[in-house]
Amino acid sequence: MNKLIELKNLTKNFEDQQVLRGIDLDVHENEFLTLLGPSGCGKTTTLRIIAGFEEPNSGQVLFNGVEISKLPPYKRQVNTVFQKYALFPHMNVFDNIAFGLNIKKMDKQVIRQKVGEMLELVGLEGFAPRDVTLLSGGQQQRVAIARALVNEPKVLLLDEPLGALDAKIRKQMQVELKKIQQEVGITFIYVTHDQEEALSMSDTVVVMNEGKIQQIGSPTDIYNEPENRFVASFIGESNIVEATMIRDYLVEFDGCRFECVDRGFGDMEPVEVVLRPEDLDMVDPGKAQIRGTVRQVTFKGVHYEIMIETDKRMYMVHTTDYAEIGKNVGLTFEPEDIHVMWPMGSY
Amino acid sequence: MKHFKKLIRPYLIWSFVIIVIPILLIVLYAFTTGGNSVLTWNFTLDNLKKVLEPTYMNVFLKSLVLGVITTVICLIIGYPLAYMISRFKEGTQNLLIMLVTIPMWINLLLRTYAWMNLLADNGIINRFLMKLGLSPISMMYTDFSVVLGLVCNFLPFMVIPIHTSLSKMDHSLIEAAYDLGANKVQAFRKVTLKLSMPGVINGIVMVFLMAISTFVIPKLLGGGQYVLIGNLIESQFISVGDWNFGSAISFLLAVIILIAMGIMKRFDKGDE
Amino acid sequence: MKKSKRIFSKLYILICFLFFYLPILVTIVFSFNSSKSLTRFSGFSLKWYGELFQNSEVASAVYVSVTIAILATVISTVLGTITAIGLSRSRKILKEYLLNVNNLPILNPEIVTAISLMLLFSSFGMTKGYLTMLLAHIAFCTPYVITSVYPKVRSLDPNLANAAMDLGATPAQALTKVIIPIIKPGIYAGALLAFTMSFDDFVISYFVSGNGVKNISIVVYNMTKRINPTINALSTVVIVVIILVLLAANILPRLQRRRKPGRSGKKIFRRVAAAAAACLVLFGLVLCQRSSQPVQKQTLKVYNAGEYIDPDLLTQFEEAYDCTVIYETFESNEMMYTKLSSGETYDILVPSDYMIERLIKEDYLAEIDWSLIPNSEHLLPDVMDRSYDPGNVYSVPYFWGTVGILYDTTVVDEADLAEGWEILRNEKYAGNIYMYDSERDSFMVALKALGYSMNTTDQGQIQEAYEWLTDQRDTMDPIYAGDDVIDNMVSGNKALAVVYSGDAAYIMSENPDMAYFTPDEGTNVWYDAMVLTKDCTNTDLAHAFMNFVLDSEAALANTEFVGYTSTVRSAFDAMQTTIYEGIGAYVPDVDNENNEIFVYQETEIKKIYAELWTKVKAK
Repeated sequence: MNKLIELKNLTKNFEDQQVLRGIDLDVHENEFLTLLGPSGCGKTTTLRIIAGFEEPNSGQVLFNGVEISKLPPYKRQVNTVFQKYALFPHMNVFDNIAFGLNIKKMDKQVIRQKVGEMLELVGLEGFAPRDVTLLSGGQQQRVAIARALVNEPKVLLLDEPLGALDAKIRKQMQVELKKIQQEVGITFIYVTHDQEEALSMSDTVVVMNEGKIQQIGSPTDIYNEPENRFVASFIGESNIVEATMIRDYLVEFDGCRFECVDRGFGDMEPVEVVLRPEDLDMVDPGKAQIRGTVRQVTFKGVHYEIMIETDKRMYMVHTTDYAEIGKNVGLTFEPEDIHVMWPMGSY
Repeated sequence: MKHFKKLIRPYLIWSFVIIVIPILLIVLYAFTTGGNSVLTWNFTLDNLKKVLEPTYMNVFLKSLVLGVITTVICLIIGYPLAYMISRFKEGTQNLLIMLVTIPMWINLLLRTYAWMNLLADNGIINRFLMKLGLSPISMMYTDFSVVLGLVCNFLPFMVIPIHTSLSKMDHSLIEAAYDLGANKVQAFRKVTLKLSMPGVINGIVMVFLMAISTFVIPKLLGGGQYVLIGNLIESQFISVGDWNFGSAISFLLAVIILIAMGIMKRFDKGDE
Repeated sequence: MKKSKRIFSKLYILICFLFFYLPILVTIVFSFNSSKSLTRFSGFSLKWYGELFQNSEVASAVYVSVTIAILATVISTVLGTITAIGLSRSRKILKEYLLNVNNLPILNPEIVTAISLMLLFSSFGMTKGYLTMLLAHIAFCTPYVITSVYPKVRSLDPNLANAAMDLGATPAQALTKVIIPIIKPGIYAGALLAFTMSFDDFVISYFVSGNGVKNISIVVYNMTKRINPTINALSTVVIVVIILVLLAANILPRLQRRRKPGRSGKKIFRRVAAAAAACLVLFGLVLCQRSSQPVQKQTLKVYNAGEYIDPDLLTQFEEAYDCTVIYETFESNEMMYTKLSSGETYDILVPSDYMIERLIKEDYLAEIDWSLIPNSEHLLPDVMDRSYDPGNVYSVPYFWGTVGILYDTTVVDEADLAEGWEILRNEKYAGNIYMYDSERDSFMVALKALGYSMNTTDQGQIQEAYEWLTDQRDTMDPIYAGDDVIDNMVSGNKALAVVYSGDAAYIMSENPDMAYFTPDEGTNVWYDAMVLTKDCTNTDLAHAFMNFVLDSEAALANTEFVGYTSTVRSAFDAMQTTIYEGIGAYVPDVDNENNEIFVYQETEIKKIYAELWTKVKAK
């Protein structure tokens, strides 16, 4: 796939606060890329730099290989869906969607046709004359998407577009957004702080924190092979344990040695190990190296969340099996369930 | 973003030349002595000390009280008016707001004279009362006549800003509030009132500021014994010719008002 | 239920509007009054409309008011709107700074803004006139626009402009197509406020304008002595024009809509366009009238008190000498002095005695060449060679008179008059008295009642007079009134009033129950005189003007119009046998040797009087 957008060592300061500390990122054609991170991590700022609402203090933004960081937003081939939609309250649905086309002074007939197609794409046939302020959140969302897409951008930027919707509509919109992206076949750059949303929709997830990219990868990579403690704890629940890499494929923690699939960390190096709660199995105490007592059991719908206290720490386990509080259990896991990463502070 | 930031530059320069510099001149006068023809540099606090004497402090107090009373009455009458106007069709609303404004285009002195004519001891109202067989009421040169004149004159400055913030309010928000189980009072308090707050604050500030420094209306409807800050300042500048003392009074007035505005701002949570 | 609520709200709006329009209604009714009174309707007449359309001063004031208001509104609305938009994107410190600065013109008393702007323009050496007035109006209108627009801008989603630009709009397009249409209600409200403030402004306009540029308010305020119903007629015309414009603006779009359905945004636009067009037509009409006036002629700048000349004299003089008289008026000697000291220049001034003394002392005046004023031989000997200008080196007497007590003969016992000024402390008349709201006149009354000189600088005597006045305040509960005394006494609202003899003569001619006397303890005899300033360049024309005013015929017309006592013998005599026959107030009592003329007091003494007077009034 071709590189469409390249960000090179972007930095950005607001007053004296540094919000971006050197962002390098390639975005490819037809990619659904998500910028994921907690609030204040710089994901929205990155998006706004791509859109042209902010200028980076240093670094480059290349679009098809051409530097565009000084180009005003109205000259860029990208369009944005805003967090609170930013629909124009003084215009109806039709005029909102037709805004960009009217600015380009397109033929009225063409505009009518294009807007019609867009309304169909987002499932709002017949809504053209409606007042946008009287639409539901989900409907406003669709208008915002249609308004952006009708301009046939190369890239669609979405800034937490589902943030204002309730859980059920949100799920539905996730599916639809993905569908729309496949249908129109353009690049989506999507900003969210919701890891589940990121994992379920994206081709590529970019995890950010404190103005830096922590990890770029497919949702599976990000989940299964977090590169550091931040990614591990931000994406899903995890047990993070200080450990020592004895040598390749062998790691020691909680006083026991375990086989693993990781290598290349060197010998006798301090590392951290991530164990996903759903990868841990409860067995008879005799059958495991790590043993502990059940301290807390919470029913989570599909599974139970069980807290098991060992002499070293507390482990969280997700399992469909029920366990009595106070019961002694052992914990087992497979070598591939052990994710070794560099400890905090060394990246 | 950055494009729009530049838009304040013209006013930044303009306001410095035509507002800040003249005000600095006044402040300079407040802290110096010696006539109005030539500006001297003898710094003194005597002017301010003199303002703090009980006679003048009483005048300040009276003005503040009158300002508050006028503002409160304007709010009580003006809010319902603005609200009711905002419930009409857009065209009718514009017309009604125009009708609220037009009286202001008639000279203030004339309107005040008309009130004097209405309220005088053998004025129109009293003659009407006597025709009905009622005894006449003495209305001129009282607190009543002054407040009446002020309210009549300043009410539009309360109604217009409140109406502005009410007019574009989404009525479905109120319906939503009902839908969520709010009763009428709650819906009004939590939705309507809250959303119209910027307009209310705006109106209060404007009416209060104008009422506190007014002097023509109280002088005519209240008589010369109605001494307010405005009269005091006017007489210092015009008849006494003591610009330094006049400046000191207005300086103190500005300080008091700025403090009052600071307090108002605490209620104005809309900022950021 | 819903219907009853609707009726209730309509009723409420109706009552509020009644409240707003009651004074307007009264104004309109009195524009048809056959007499000058604004409080008593004596019969239907259209004569004030006739005067209105002949009065060129009013016509040019309408022109100035309307054009200044329109220009100031347009400019301040544009400036205020872009500033409000810019503000919402500015840094916090800058925003706070500008919003506070912006509040200053609103919170400062107008007089302070006026004086400070006057000082500013003077220090820049700008000639005061149309431009300075326009600049000042923009200065105080813009803050109102910003306070109306800014809250609207602040409530916008900050991404709206971004969204527009994202969709291909340039920043200018984003402003005009998105931001401005959304904040339109705020802009309209701001513009409406700006227009209102500008149209009705007096204080600021007065101090920052000059050279004959006057708006309606200045004209009205300077008719302080007796506001005559011409202005009511003007207001009525203004209201009728506004109503016509409104009707047109509301009906035209409706007619158009019947033909072609339009959208609401365009509807408003059309309405505004219609209103603007109507204003322009009006504006054009006035402009035509104005531009038809000749331009290059020798000019004479005269600065006189309001309502203090028969305007016909000015036209006659202009015709006789083929010149233009730029005629400006002031409300008080002190206002005149303030403007003069700010650097305004005039050829002829008409101040009072003590002010002339001051102007001579401060070297403002040029000597009179009496040989150029042959009509001076008609001047009464009683008005010549007075203490304020011994030998009449600088001044040509214009009007004169006394201060005395006007009383209602049906209420006041003639025997009580023997009490002299003390009648004002006679508890029989408690609550039935008007005092004159001016410290010098009131202290004159008290000092004379106590047998002192009214020009005393003795602290003890001043203190005694102060106590006399506070005692009178506490026991008699007088009203300290201004020129509203005149109409009130014509209506017979109170029994006693301290008034000027000229006003007394007018009141007596309107209300035969009233009589005037000057107590034996003596009173203030005052003289208003024409003086020549050092700035006067065309002294021949100036002397010609003074000579013209002293001409027997002109003097008679003048005293008939103004009602004050003439200084010209023939006119003085003629009045006593014609309209003011039997009205004693017209003839000043010159034989009482206790009478005095005010002398100019230094600021220090004036401050003492002013402070005590404030204490008297503000209990």
